Amino acid sequence: MSRGLSFYLRIYVKILVQDLKSKMSYRADFIISMVGMILTNVVGFVSFKIMFSNFSSINGWSYNEMLFLYGFSLIAITPMQCMLDNNWSLRMNVYNGDFIKYCFRPINLFFYYESEVFDAKGLGQFGFGIATLVYAWNKLGLPVTFFSIIKTVIFAITASLFMMAMQNAAAATCFWIDRSFYVLDLTFRLREYAKYPVTIFNPVFRFLFTFLFPIAFIAYYPSLVILRPDKVPMLSWISPVIGVLWFYMSYRIWMRGARKYNGTGS
Amino acid sequence: MSKMRKYLALTRAGIIEELGFRLATIVMIFGNIIYLTVIYFLWRSIFASSPTPVVNGMTFESTLIYLVLATAIFNFMEMYTVWEMGRNVQSGKIVLDLVRPMEYRSYLFWSYTGPTIMQFLTTFIPTFIIVECVTKAIPLGINLLYFIISIILAVMINYSIDFMVGTICLYSESIWGINIMKQVIVLLFSGATIPLAFFPEGLAKVASVLPFKAVYDGPLSILLMNSPEICDVLPILELQAFWAVMLYLLSVGFWKISLRQITVNGG
Amino acid sequence: MENSIVLKNITKEFKVLNRHEGLKGSIRDLFSRDYKTVTAVDNVSLEIKKGEIVGYLGPNGAGKSTTIKIMTGILKPTSGEIMVNGKTPWEDRTSNCEKIGVVFGQRSQLWWSLPLVESFKLLKDIYMIEDKNYNDMLDFYASIVDLEPLLHKPVRQMSLGQRTLSDILASFLHSPEVVFLDEPTIGLDVAMKSNIRDLIAAINEQKNTTVILTTHDMGDVDALCKRIVIIDKGKMLYDNDMEHLKKVFGSYRTLSLRIRSSQMTDDFITSLEERFSPYGISISTENNWVSLVINEDRIKVMDVLSGVQENGSIKDMKLEEISTEEVIKRIYTEGI
Repeated sequence: MSRGLSFYLRIYVKILVQDLKSKMSYRADFIISMVGMILTNVVGFVSFKIMFSNFSSINGWSYNEMLFLYGFSLIAITPMQCMLDNNWSLRMNVYNGDFIKYCFRPINLFFYYESEVFDAKGLGQFGFGIATLVYAWNKLGLPVTFFSIIKTVIFAITASLFMMAMQNAAAATCFWIDRSFYVLDLTFRLREYAKYPVTIFNPVFRFLFTFLFPIAFIAYYPSLVILRPDKVPMLSWISPVIGVLWFYMSYRIWMRGARKYNGTGS
Repeated sequence: MSKMRKYLALTRAGIIEELGFRLATIVMIFGNIIYLTVIYFLWRSIFASSPTPVVNGMTFESTLIYLVLATAIFNFMEMYTVWEMGRNVQSGKIVLDLVRPMEYRSYLFWSYTGPTIMQFLTTFIPTFIIVECVTKAIPLGINLLYFIISIILAVMINYSIDFMVGTICLYSESIWGINIMKQVIVLLFSGATIPLAFFPEGLAKVASVLPFKAVYDGPLSILLMNSPEICDVLPILELQAFWAVMLYLLSVGFWKISLRQITVNGG
Repeated sequence: MENSIVLKNITKEFKVLNRHEGLKGSIRDLFSRDYKTVTAVDNVSLEIKKGEIVGYLGPNGAGKSTTIKIMTGILKPTSGEIMVNGKTPWEDRTSNCEKIGVVFGQRSQLWWSLPLVESFKLLKDIYMIEDKNYNDMLDFYASIVDLEPLLHKPVRQMSLGQRTLSDILASFLHSPEVVFLDEPTIGLDVAMKSNIRDLIAAINEQKNTTVILTTHDMGDVDALCKRIVIIDKGKMLYDNDMEHLKKVFGSYRTLSLRIRSSQMTDDFITSLEERFSPYGISISTENNWVSLVINEDRIKVMDVLSGVQENGSIKDMKLEEISTEEVIKRIYTEGI
């Protein structure tokens, strides 16, 4: 008996459907979370407006181009928000010893742990991101072709891999350090800055945000493919490969941490 | 006096616990450096794109100092009270806290003072020193004393807001939703993410009647004043004191009413 | 009969940080590299046959959970050999997990917000249980417990007893060869404890599942285990039948005497201790009762009775067999 991709996909969908069903029975909580999510995005958008209402362009990027990056980053964050939400509880589970209970299933530990929670309110953010992107796309007069849409989808998935990778690695730090919440919180806050073009930073930090904390891959590099098709750097084209690599590495770190945790005899 | 000792014991326990978390401190400082760097470059390029060096009465330097210090204040003030209360309500641990020989509100407040002081020393003070060394723009005089008073008031206001929002957790299990709404509203209207001077007129008006301004904008304006007279700082401190008392009463009242409701319902 | 679990000279060591006390100590720990090695499991060998229910006992921190982690494959031993269902568990955690079930008394492994039946269906998919086996199992469950009211209740709304019951049912669902039960009756009332014990006994009998039971509740041990293994400070202290244990301690009796209250003085107790300690008698008191644990091979109960009577007048008396709990306590403190 082997458990391949289709097995995991089937299990995930089944858990997801059940989870959504049970969420519907706690409607008040669901609505409050949804309102919270929408409010977050509205405030985010208002802040964005305030900042750029005083300036017509930043670093050679027009208001609408910035808006494109903004929408793109929201979309790229969604998979992390929806599918890896249980990472936020990882710290508590490790701290009070509950994590052990996830270790006895004959399926992938990371998958099993993350599949437990699907954060549906992340979809609200996704909608907000799509709307912003479509608006900016329209304003910028970008062509709507089959190819450009395919490109957008592929690079949005790529971008989301980077975000998920960072969050995984950040969450996994709780296996080694006691107050890892700060690491996760910091990573989560960094995503706020993913929407700005990496060119605003000096070379040192450009390097840092490209290779060490790859927030430049969440909106900037992938968006270049659509926004500046005539000047796409190599990094943009190979970003899908780097994204997969990043995600795989973060997964390995997470799993190594889990193994280490079990070894501490708690 | 023995009451004070009881509270101080909580403070000390908090400090020890805080130090026990080895790497956490280092991570936190490192995290702040990255965060501040991002702010620096972002606003530098914003100002570089502007035709004039002064925008809305603020230079790049003053904006940066303002934001850096606001972030430092945010870091030591955010104590995740809402999360703590929400979790305690859900796990039922709150019952244990309620039978303690001190008021729950005070218990929570004083057990946070240890971490708060530690955070103040490890995040705010270094940030302050660095900003001062780099820019030499913060006057070192009587304003520091007023700032201390102002920041203590700000902590009290912030705690009252948190406690009030935390009380909502008695009614709803959606801690995340409740907390995020509070957080985004406070951060926007307190001027912690964008200085209030940049706000368009309508929003600025809204911000001026809300208490959040007293948390960040108040202490920061005092800190940046050059040898202020008492009459310069008094209006700010008065407003802060007003909100501190007001929100204290509101949060205590809301808590009492909610608690009665919950115990009546037997929840 | 074939062996379900075999442990040969299993040792597990951990490195832990030396923590220091107080404010100064905490600052020092910030930069400390001061580790020490702790041996959690020390050269343990064990063979458990298919279908056995083994009580695995020991005080907190004795190394029980480390051994369980090694047997479930999530921990690799520092040295020694281990076979569970004919395979080395840590080499292939996943395939080992297919053939085992695990229950923690306080930590439900079910999906918190789902009705039990949905959790069962998910487990059916995860363990790839065939329809027929799954339905047979549910029928079997229905024949031994009142399943229907549980099936449609979300786990979060269940009482602790119902949750434990559900967790145990879930752990046997995929017909595992071995099930590890960690404190399954902790925090439950007497009726529920007995329900759970009956359930475990019934499944064990029907499915011939090997059960490793760690518990502090001697009621569980008395009701379920024919064999017990006792571990303390990582070392194996005892591994034998309950019968054998009873035989060894069979000559022990607990004699409880109620003494006239005016005579219950410290001097009186001291004189008893002086007189009987050469015979290995341990003495404890509660209110006006004096309890003496007597080994009848060394001194007759009647002799003790008359000895006590010389100094005090006995108002009431009870003579009991030694309880399992008392036996275990003696093994912890004195060895066998």
